[in-house]
Amino acid sequence: MRGGRTVGGLLLHVAVLAGLALFILVPFFQSFLTSFISTMPRDDIAQGSFSLINYIAIIETPALRESILNSSIYVLLNVALCIAAGLPAAYAYSRYSFTGDRHFFFILLIFRVTPPVVLSLPIFILFAKFNLVNTPIGIALVHCLFNVPIAIWILESFMSAIPRELDETAFLDGYSLPGFFAKFLIPAIAPGIGVTAFFCFIFSWVEVVFARILTITSGKPITMAINSLLGIRTDIGLVMAMSTMSLLPGLLMIWFVRNHLARGFVIRT
Amino acid sequence: MKPHDNRAWLLLVPAALIMLLVGVVPLVAVFNYSFHDIFTLQDLHWVGTDWYREIVRSPRFHGSLFRSLLFSGIVLAVQLPLGIAIALKLTRMSHGRTLVIMLLALPLVVPWNMIPMMWLNLIRPTGLLGQMFDGLAIPFDYKFNALHTWAVLVVMDTWHWLGLVVILSFAGLSGISPAYYRAAAIDGATPWAVFRHIQMPKISGVLSIAILLRFVDSFMIYTEAFRINAGGPNFATMFLSLDLGEEINSFTYGAAAARSMVYFLLVITAAWTFRTAMDRRRSALQEINT
Repeated sequence: MRGGRTVGGLLLHVAVLAGLALFILVPFFQSFLTSFISTMPRDDIAQGSFSLINYIAIIETPALRESILNSSIYVLLNVALCIAAGLPAAYAYSRYSFTGDRHFFFILLIFRVTPPVVLSLPIFILFAKFNLVNTPIGIALVHCLFNVPIAIWILESFMSAIPRELDETAFLDGYSLPGFFAKFLIPAIAPGIGVTAFFCFIFSWVEVVFARILTITSGKPITMAINSLLGIRTDIGLVMAMSTMSLLPGLLMIWFVRNHLARGFVIRT
Repeated sequence: MKPHDNRAWLLLVPAALIMLLVGVVPLVAVFNYSFHDIFTLQDLHWVGTDWYREIVRSPRFHGSLFRSLLFSGIVLAVQLPLGIAIALKLTRMSHGRTLVIMLLALPLVVPWNMIPMMWLNLIRPTGLLGQMFDGLAIPFDYKFNALHTWAVLVVMDTWHWLGLVVILSFAGLSGISPAYYRAAAIDGATPWAVFRHIQMPKISGVLSIAILLRFVDSFMIYTEAFRINAGGPNFATMFLSLDLGEEINSFTYGAAAARSMVYFLLVITAAWTFRTAMDRRRSALQEINT
């Protein structure tokens, strides 16, 4: 706090932050609470009482258990794909101008903002031809539609902050382009790769439309496992326990990049 | 100035190939379907622009277009000022910045179909908010009161996306060199003047990205809105995307494809407006720098 602050100002400051925290946390708190309550009529547990039954149900149901694994696989694949495709593209944008560069970027932007539901049907038909339905590779590929543009955009910002002299010295020392990437560029923009991975991760993890249409019989992601629990007699406790589980990888990601998000990464536009 | 070298295109090949496969090819297919009546995919009938004419004339389309625009308008009017205000507050904080950012990032990692479930769980009579409304004797009924459904959707969307606006605004703000603030302090500038003449211009680039992302995502809100009230009560929250979802589910693919193309054109228009604004800004900046 700065010296000039009055007590009233301080109180206001605390009140605003507390209000914000309350607004964000109350829905989480409620879900967490419900996940520990037996919400269905059962013989041995009174309805509405505290119980671990929902979490036990997740562990004991293979479909629910596997869905967490399925989601993790395609999300990680997607992050790897986006960074692999994004690194050279971002380097091209940060170091060179070339014919049609702005146009290509505009096309990328358009695909980032195209609603998935517009493309879902032909993507299903196309992927069925390539045997990519029901596989994590299929979902990982299709999520590139909105994540590759984001990866290029964020990586480019970080690369442009690296002085060009780094490239020139490395090339004079006889490094090839891939060698330069591995030895100098990637270590220099490691925080940028972290931030990129974070954004690709969350957009892929939370996506529902493609994930549903591309998993007909197997390989169901966590989002679909939750959907399959919804029905006429929804066990809301189990649903909330599943949602709580679905938050864990995201929490881990936030923890890893917290300092980079808070330090503020400079975005060029 | 960056050197001009068309060999840079080689570096774009992996990204371009992926976008071709998952973006361009499906888009061309949708474009083709939109001129056909489709029974099965082997049984296409050319109908020309019939679907488009039908859409443009249908009052139902006008209704959902209006509702989608209104929703996006409200969402932007609420989330942008709020997000910028919080980001400004963050830059003045000496402690706890990381904590606030982590807090705001939390809703971003919730799967989209879980968000309405969490909020429904909160506002049902036994939930915390439901009990609160009950205790305060507020007749809350999101199922049959259109205003209440709208309120739930706007609050839920703000909860979900506020963090993105704050993170982007904060990223823009933290790129401002302290020298500007020192100069402003010497001139005795008011906080408003600092915001208007230093912070606002500096973050306008990042902000326009936030505006674009929030506009298109709220304009096409599907999963969240569908679970809350499925377009009800009485079509009061029937947005464009819900309309489209209904058509795809009823297997009228030709009509659905035409509708998809109409949405795609709307989205391109938004992106194009965004790009023109960016170009104008860039050339303005170049004039200042030279």
